[in-house]
Amino acid sequence: MNSIISARGLSKRFGRTLAVDHIDLDVPEGRIVGLIGPNGAGKTTIMKAILGLTPFEGDLEVLGLNPSTHRSKLMENVCFIADVAVLPRWIRVWQLIELTGQLHARFSKETCLKYLARTKISQQHKVKQLSKGMVAQLHLALVMAIDVKLLVLDEPTLGLDIIYRKQFYSSLLNDYFDEQKTILITTHQVEEIEHILTDLIFINNGKVALDCGMDEVENNYLELMAAPANAAAARQLGPLNERELFGRHIFLYHGVKRELLEELGELRTPSVADLFVATMSGEQS
Amino acid sequence: MKQMLALLRREFWENKGAFRTTPIAIGGICIAVMLMAIFTTIHIDNELYTFKQAMRLLAQQPAETRAVHLRSVMMGISIVFTVVMSFVVFFYLLGALYDDRKDRSILFWKSMPGSDVQTVASKLLSAMVVVPLVFWSILIITQVLLAVTAAIMVFSVGENPWTLFLSVLNPLEAWFIVLLSYLAASIWFLPFFGWLLLVSAFAPRIPLLFAVIPPVVVALLQLWIDFLRTFTFNHSLFGIIGEWVANSPVIISIQSGDGQEELALGIPYTSTFDHAPTVLNILDRLFSLQMAGGLAVAAVFLAGAVWLRRRATDG
Repeated sequence: MNSIISARGLSKRFGRTLAVDHIDLDVPEGRIVGLIGPNGAGKTTIMKAILGLTPFEGDLEVLGLNPSTHRSKLMENVCFIADVAVLPRWIRVWQLIELTGQLHARFSKETCLKYLARTKISQQHKVKQLSKGMVAQLHLALVMAIDVKLLVLDEPTLGLDIIYRKQFYSSLLNDYFDEQKTILITTHQVEEIEHILTDLIFINNGKVALDCGMDEVENNYLELMAAPANAAAARQLGPLNERELFGRHIFLYHGVKRELLEELGELRTPSVADLFVATMSGEQS
Repeated sequence: MKQMLALLRREFWENKGAFRTTPIAIGGICIAVMLMAIFTTIHIDNELYTFKQAMRLLAQQPAETRAVHLRSVMMGISIVFTVVMSFVVFFYLLGALYDDRKDRSILFWKSMPGSDVQTVASKLLSAMVVVPLVFWSILIITQVLLAVTAAIMVFSVGENPWTLFLSVLNPLEAWFIVLLSYLAASIWFLPFFGWLLLVSAFAPRIPLLFAVIPPVVVALLQLWIDFLRTFTFNHSLFGIIGEWVANSPVIISIQSGDGQEELALGIPYTSTFDHAPTVLNILDRLFSLQMAGGLAVAAVFLAGAVWLRRRATDG
């Protein structure tokens, strides 16, 4: 199995605060990994380290290269959207397509134009004339037309309407993604990406709070909706988290046998968002 | 190579106004001023100074004198272009590694393959080669248009423009000297370019202040210390910079020699170099000890700019 990203003791200090605190990570080829965490958890810093945009401590290899010393070589096989609306404002759309084609050997103009055809963007437009959402659409069209091994997306759909977001994630999965590619993605709209993810990494306070495959989530995590009468019994089984909804108690379990829980109420696989909230509140307490 | 061309194109597209529209505007102004001058001369009905009279007097001058004057006129027009070009290059370099950090588009550029050395090189080459070539080309077009306009005016007052001035012109020589001086100046001013790129890569805001304040502070301290030691104001950074400009291999002033005014390279108050605008004098500056020192300083500044660029993100 080829490791696309491999980090050992990855740390980053801003003054006295440790924004990233000795993180170990392994991301294999052919995965779509969601990097999820609350604001200020260190997600963006980790991504910047992976992209060679910030110095770091510890060992980090991306596609077998050290990102801080081989950024230029790395960018031949890595593409990223670090933030929405960072396209140069003075440029015209056709100039941007032209330049990307000349700068990036793996860029396909046809693919880019195909994605652009779904939008209202004209090639004569300057970026500064486009709305925030259109700039995001343009950036996504460019990036999806570049055939790289690792794609890093930091909040790629911020400012986009729900129709386009759905469309984007479905073409990301159906047209762009394949076994040779790896996608690392952060977003606060977890529910929109959970069905395309293969792996989950939760980050909190600069540390990895959870690192597992989505199949593991399905196998090992259970959410129990218990009637009030069963709440005490449910608590005994050591839930990760408890919350109340319309008078019913909802518990989240890790590694507790299905048979034990079935008697206490309804069971289902927790959503990533619920798992996230449970993990984070567990961490905080 | 392909990438470098793409990066140079990017610089040209981004700075079209400064790189292309500005020299075109100057050319337009030159032509307009000449037309205004001619019409003014015709309008003021003075026996001696009517345009017709003036042309007749000029025609009586020996061809050699006319040739010398015309050469000066041609190179003199270049001074206007040179001065404006220096402003364009100054502000371009000051923003070159700053603007994309400010609007955060650096994150997009850094997502493309290509090293930071290439990025800095593309900015430097734009300032050293692209801008001078564009200004020079438009200077030539302007001069051709000026000659055509002048020829029509001369013809309309009954003189023969060919014998009067077109046949004694040696435009190729004048154009060559100007082009050579522009490219030589690009090398001569490398320490300045390097400094501006360094500031541009470093400045957290208002690069102009960061470019100007440190040299001024250093120079004032030097002057102060010098004054305390010797009660004179002898040497300071101001002096070095002033001398550097005065020794530059580009036509920016007039000197008097052999009883007549002629154009000069740099400003002829220094005597380190010969200021006559010739190919040899231009090359003399490039192969001087000063130039070697300047290149060393430029190398340090440029290395600093690349170092900072490598670490630069939007933050």
